[in-house]
Amino acid sequence: MKAVGARLPRYDGVGHVTGRTQYVDDVRVGRVLWAKALRSPHDHAAITKLDTSKAESMKGVHAIITSADVPRNVYGHLEGLGVPGDEPLLADGEVRYKGQPIAVVAAESEEAAMAAVDAIEVAYEPRPALFDIRTALDPDAPQIHPWGNVYPHYGPYNHRRVRKGDVDAAFDKADFIVEGVYRPQAIEQMPMETQVALCVPEANGRLTIYSCTQAMYFSMGVVAAHLEVPLNKLKFIGGTVGGGFGGKVDTATDTICALLALKSRKAVKWRWTREEEFLVSSTRAAWHIELADAVTKDGWILGRRTLTLHDSGAYARFSPYGLTKHAFHHSGAYTIPNLHFDGFVAFTNRVPSTAMRGFGVTSVSFATETHLNRIASVIGVDPWELRLKNANRIGDTTGNGVALQDPSTVAVTLAAADRVGIELGAEYRQMDSEPRTGALLPEHLVAQQRLNAEAH
Amino acid sequence: MNLTVNGREHEITSPPLTPLLHVLREELEITSPKAGCQQGGCGTCTVLVDGEPRRSCLTAVATVDGASITTLEGLGEAESLSPLQAAFHELYAAQCGFCTPGMIVASTALLERVGGPVDRDDVLDALGGHYCRCTGYVKIVDAVMAASRGEVGTVGDLPSSEEGEPDVAIKGSPA
Repeated sequence: MKAVGARLPRYDGVGHVTGRTQYVDDVRVGRVLWAKALRSPHDHAAITKLDTSKAESMKGVHAIITSADVPRNVYGHLEGLGVPGDEPLLADGEVRYKGQPIAVVAAESEEAAMAAVDAIEVAYEPRPALFDIRTALDPDAPQIHPWGNVYPHYGPYNHRRVRKGDVDAAFDKADFIVEGVYRPQAIEQMPMETQVALCVPEANGRLTIYSCTQAMYFSMGVVAAHLEVPLNKLKFIGGTVGGGFGGKVDTATDTICALLALKSRKAVKWRWTREEEFLVSSTRAAWHIELADAVTKDGWILGRRTLTLHDSGAYARFSPYGLTKHAFHHSGAYTIPNLHFDGFVAFTNRVPSTAMRGFGVTSVSFATETHLNRIASVIGVDPWELRLKNANRIGDTTGNGVALQDPSTVAVTLAAADRVGIELGAEYRQMDSEPRTGALLPEHLVAQQRLNAEAH
Repeated sequence: MNLTVNGREHEITSPPLTPLLHVLREELEITSPKAGCQQGGCGTCTVLVDGEPRRSCLTAVATVDGASITTLEGLGEAESLSPLQAAFHELYAAQCGFCTPGMIVASTALLERVGGPVDRDDVLDALGGHYCRCTGYVKIVDAVMAASRGEVGTVGDLPSSEEGEPDVAIKGSPA
């Protein structure tokens, strides 16, 4: 335990300050082919023609792959958790977002690869595109997928649900009903190192893949699934990442490099440009969150109704999981005994969204905290005291039924108040996380505790 | 064309309009300058051209024919870190490390120019065109200021290693 609290040098620090740290783009394996992608210029379109023959015969071009070259083209990032695949590695007959890859060229230079991309003959028939998740469920909305515009696999439902207590009764008892709509928008993770991979075909038939992934074994599984090869055909080298922030959980470049290396029998590197990173790489999702809270005039939150629309972009990727985390955290760090939550993963023709720091949680935390300020202003109570009163305590239960053993809301809120110089009344300053008693155990929470006791 | 890179002379065979960044990375295999944006926006490709910080991604190699180029590799090795390298290491000014080469190279030019302690505004001015996505800049600016004051090797307060533990002293720090 000597290391705890000590200032220890970073194991990779000397490499970073001497320029010796080897990121994927710095790995040298002799001559490599460079990859460039033909990407959809349309948000939504049918591909009516795709002919790579002229491009293939160009000087310096070693391989071009399309969906026909992918052993298993459609795969889903969450298949391991039972979420069916929905995303083609390379578009097959239809493009669903601007920038979706259709074909990828491996050539002796980036310039030769770009020239070959430009020589691929492709034609589109544009289709109406959908950008606003608020209209995704409308009957006349453009259809993104054959099964519709929402992810349909939450057990028997097409949405993630949380049901706790009796929300109707809570709203009947409320002195105030406070409503709010919160719309946190998409954010690019923006690592300084753009998406990059290098794949070297080995003499023994294995592929060595230098990857910038944040999730090595996950990426290995994705590549193996698309290629339909056992894991022992793949050797992944990684761990040195020039920033990820969630944006390098999706497998963006590894699989394409592997396929091009197999086809060309040469080492292939795919390094995205800054434009590709911004325009095509996955982002944090945009969300539409509607909250309605049943509140008493003395500042108790009796119940909450929530409707969330999670903008997944064109494909599911990790969004079904992100929304589940969102649902678990939707009452924030507060005890709300009656909850009714419906959350939809909605598809649009935007770039697929994915993980970013606090995946799924930051959006609903933003909504909850902003909403608490709104409640405080509507009913005329102090926003700090509103938080402390409703803060999770030992013995309170979350929306999904977890009895809390060591909640930190009270301590964190008090520390935050202290840091910004907020003076709280004595009854709040002295609060801790111990189980509710007295004035902090009003009737609506007594009922909850009784239910908890019966359940256990 | 000829370039002297980190004290060693090279004859350059890349075409004259090739960006200096590509000449360094692909022809000479000097990889500390990074291709962060390749449009002059992020600062990861910064090198010293005759002592001045330049964006190597926007510099055609023909325009620096005969120049002396310094990259991060030329500023110090693990056993002989420059004061700035030591400060970045000891004060945790590098997280993922991808922006670090440009940051240290540009800061080196600043310290050479000023020749003594620099203040926060000097550093912000010198590093204004350099993006760091991880650390939020505070530690980077602190490290440059500490190096300029010659405080490196004392501010880190690293514990000395005990038997069986890895050596945690930073070799070469001008304590």
